[in-house]
Amino acid sequence: MADASTILAKPPLAATAPARRRPLALDRYFVTLTVLPTFVVMVAIFGLPLLFSLYLSFTGWSPNQALLGGAFVGFDNYADLFADPVFIGSIGITFGYTTAAVSAQLAAGLGIALLLNVDLPYMRAFRTALVVPMMITPIVGALCWKLLLDPSHGVVNYWLGQKIIWLGQPDTAMLAVWLVNVWQSTPYVALILLAGLRSLPSEPREAAAIDGASRWQMFLHITLPLLKPYLLVALLLRTIFEFRAFDNIYAMTGGGPANATMVLSMFTYLASFVRFDFALGAAASWMMLLMSMLICLFFIAVIRRRDAN
Amino acid sequence: MAIVVGSRRTRWLGRALVYAALSLLSLLFLFPLLWVLGLSFKTRMQTFADPPLFLWWPTIENYVDVFGRSDFGLAFLNTLIVSGSAVGLSLCVGVPAAYAFARFPFRGRSFLFFALLVMRMLPPIAVLVPMYVLFSKLGLTTTRFSVVLAYSTFSLPLVVWIMRGFFEDLPAELEESAWIDGANRFTAFRLIVLPLAKPGMVAASILCLQLAWNDFLFAAVLTNNASQTLPVKMMTFSAGDSGVDWGGVTASGMLVILPVIIFSFLAQRHLVAGLSSGAVKG
Amino acid sequence: MPAIRRRTLLATAAATTLAAPNLRAQTRPEKLVYIGENQGGWKRALMEEVAPAFEKATGIKIEFTMLPVDAWRARLKAELGAGSTGIDIAQWSVGMAGWMSPHVLDHNEVVAKIAQRDPDFAWDDFLGGSKVAATYDGKLSGIPYRITTGIMVYQKEILAKAGFATFPTTFAEFEKAAMAVNSPPDRFAFGVMGKQGSGLYTSIASWLYSAGGKLVDFKTGEIFINAPEAVLALQFLGDLVVKNKLAPPEVTTWEYDEIIAGGQRDRFVMGQTFAPYMTLMNDPVNSKIPGRWAGAVVPGHTAASQSRTWIDGHFMAVPKYSKNADWAIDFIRMACSKQWQLRSMERGNAPPRGSVLRNPEMAAKLGWPPIAAQAIETGVPTPAHPVWDTLELSLRTGVSEVLLGQKTAKAALDAVAADWQRGLRRAGIGRG
Repeated sequence: MADASTILAKPPLAATAPARRRPLALDRYFVTLTVLPTFVVMVAIFGLPLLFSLYLSFTGWSPNQALLGGAFVGFDNYADLFADPVFIGSIGITFGYTTAAVSAQLAAGLGIALLLNVDLPYMRAFRTALVVPMMITPIVGALCWKLLLDPSHGVVNYWLGQKIIWLGQPDTAMLAVWLVNVWQSTPYVALILLAGLRSLPSEPREAAAIDGASRWQMFLHITLPLLKPYLLVALLLRTIFEFRAFDNIYAMTGGGPANATMVLSMFTYLASFVRFDFALGAAASWMMLLMSMLICLFFIAVIRRRDAN
Repeated sequence: MAIVVGSRRTRWLGRALVYAALSLLSLLFLFPLLWVLGLSFKTRMQTFADPPLFLWWPTIENYVDVFGRSDFGLAFLNTLIVSGSAVGLSLCVGVPAAYAFARFPFRGRSFLFFALLVMRMLPPIAVLVPMYVLFSKLGLTTTRFSVVLAYSTFSLPLVVWIMRGFFEDLPAELEESAWIDGANRFTAFRLIVLPLAKPGMVAASILCLQLAWNDFLFAAVLTNNASQTLPVKMMTFSAGDSGVDWGGVTASGMLVILPVIIFSFLAQRHLVAGLSSGAVKG
Repeated sequence: MPAIRRRTLLATAAATTLAAPNLRAQTRPEKLVYIGENQGGWKRALMEEVAPAFEKATGIKIEFTMLPVDAWRARLKAELGAGSTGIDIAQWSVGMAGWMSPHVLDHNEVVAKIAQRDPDFAWDDFLGGSKVAATYDGKLSGIPYRITTGIMVYQKEILAKAGFATFPTTFAEFEKAAMAVNSPPDRFAFGVMGKQGSGLYTSIASWLYSAGGKLVDFKTGEIFINAPEAVLALQFLGDLVVKNKLAPPEVTTWEYDEIIAGGQRDRFVMGQTFAPYMTLMNDPVNSKIPGRWAGAVVPGHTAASQSRTWIDGHFMAVPKYSKNADWAIDFIRMACSKQWQLRSMERGNAPPRGSVLRNPEMAAKLGWPPIAAQAIETGVPTPAHPVWDTLELSLRTGVSEVLLGQKTAKAALDAVAADWQRGLRRAGIGRG
């Protein structure tokens, strides 16, 4: 939502320097005083923890040591991490899951946005209804689905007339967490794209209509290209958010069966809070951090390039 | 750009199709919740009936049971306190900064802004691991305060972003004339800018409140049974060793999401407005 | 520095004058802080009955801090690691002994103190296995409060109808009986917790120990998890589930809740489960087949005498750093006394006292206590070395792969062994 503004917004206008006839002494500190609290909070809850986790990732720290008492071990933690087949596997699973989830969200979200964009009465009611899955608590949504997908008493199997063990088989478990994710996040994409559709200029379409273009042609050659910036924003945001998926997997499979749904967040969680190997957990979380930064930079570069053209 | 439809007959057909598609989709998207809502009003026997019951005499015993566990109320209170405090903290700290970001160029502005972006984008588990270790050494784990700090990692950037966009859209003339009239910037900000920014602040609070209310990961690691939040409490109904308790899971789940559904109705306008105002600037 | 010392002195002086004279060395605190985990209902007697009774007797409130499993362990680890004085009673379970032990009192001394105060406490009454489990590196590190162990539950009538008058005592008999009573798709022969999660270790452990297998030597770093005995055990379990299809297909999603529910809904005839769960499976309110479940110890490999299972449990310990140790010991004395242990069993606990488990009235009512007592005598405690957390996680992967039919036991356990080697090396155990 607001995230969209960051990526697309132009840098703020240079201060509309007013005629400062009497620069008041206090005013010189205005920026400092307004920005400082944010800066301090950011350092405290974001800068320090991340630096500390970088430190942890280079030490053999364990919880019964003093805060800065770990011995320096160089890149050992990272070496151990990359020697772990589960970690390597989880990188692949995370990227696969993210790609599958985001592409489904974009396709479904675009369809829903186009439908909601039709100018008819009662569209607000539909919009309200469709937004609900994205607003509710993810862990509750996942647990709801867990009951729906229950092998013996779930309504899904009842309708399918089969006894599929959704969460107990590697392929179907992945399918199930993917499905829940698409259900929860498609509305997000739909809303961004709907906002995009609403703000598109109508002249190109009218011109095309006069030229006798078919509806499909108009969509393909006019609407879609104009919508591209919004699609990119949705793509970026959803990629970043799916990359760190945790709640639905924790509630539904815990990373199993046979590590089929072991995404990076789950791996890091287990390393830190089940194995208590905080040094390894810190190394894993820094790898996650670097990967999500790279994804972010990649998309920003793409968007910048598009803006430049 | 709304779709303009052709002749009368195709228009009628098109409308019907759009309504049918949307109704089907809404049903699809709402069905899981409606079904679970139904389950929460079933007795144990009804829940496990085969084939599933589509019509039954509802019971509220699951809700009575959930409320009977005194700590459910406590969890509700905890959630309210921590999400409220996180949003409050983020507003107090973030709104003035957002104003500065929108109006004044200063050294390090783009760096700070980039840092905020990273803060919003980074995987929560990456902050949680070091935060947990730091907090436990400081004796802060299991306090509500630690959760408030953790929630600020996502609510502060969100507030700054929403509000920066909002301030940019506000015309600068009003403050400027106040400055010329001799008001200092603090006074102008307090008396002129802030009242105008109220709708933006409401939107930002609702969106942050929703995120904080829904968090599971931070609260699961940073709380104990005295400070646990609703999603964490609700999870204990699901993973236990007393036999599968669908009544507890469904009833508590519905109670957890009730407030956010209310938020989502309140936020409707802001949600879409926030989206478009952000994206339009592209 | 002098200022601090003066303040402490003043505080101490004030405290001594205020306190009423009593037998204990320490002044009476307002409260004792108890840290434990929040799962399961077995602590109800402790929280709802023992603590109020203790408060009534001494005026000291017990403040329970109950955390989700992971958070509880992490919290104890962090606070005790920092030497925090904030915990008076730490509840810990077997796997944590390795890192808990250095931070708690020598509980042989605690037992001696308790015996002094209460001659009826009868330390001898606690089963041998429970004491073994409470001991790490020769140091008794807590007083057992709950000991869980693996047992088998059987629907007696169905087995009898199929011609099995007695419960299986060997692997071969078990498999034969299972083949005979399997009637898919409604009622399968065998129920087991097969979800990749914290319960999975217990599912393989009984077969592994009964087949004479071992896990690892934490001193030398020698790994036995891919030794022939272990491979045989896991292959046997895998064959029951995958090859012979004797288990409901959804067992790969089963954990604690689900196996109980499976038992309540008549989903299997022979179930591998935890001792106290039998009560819930027989529960007249929630079970479709109340009273039909009977229990037995797990089968041995080729002879009944080889039957061995895992034991795990919860212990109460007083940290070295507690300032209210004597009062904490007093609470533990009360909670673990014969009378309160008996009461706790009625409310879902599985106490470690022989006299309580073999209490005829309870044996008749619940069925499982004498079986649990028998299993605890020979049980193998869950490894207590800190690195076990890491090893267990990769064992889960291996067992899960076999239960899904992805790998043979040999292939899966070889991979686990390779993983363990890395884990042990990381923990500095064994060669370099």
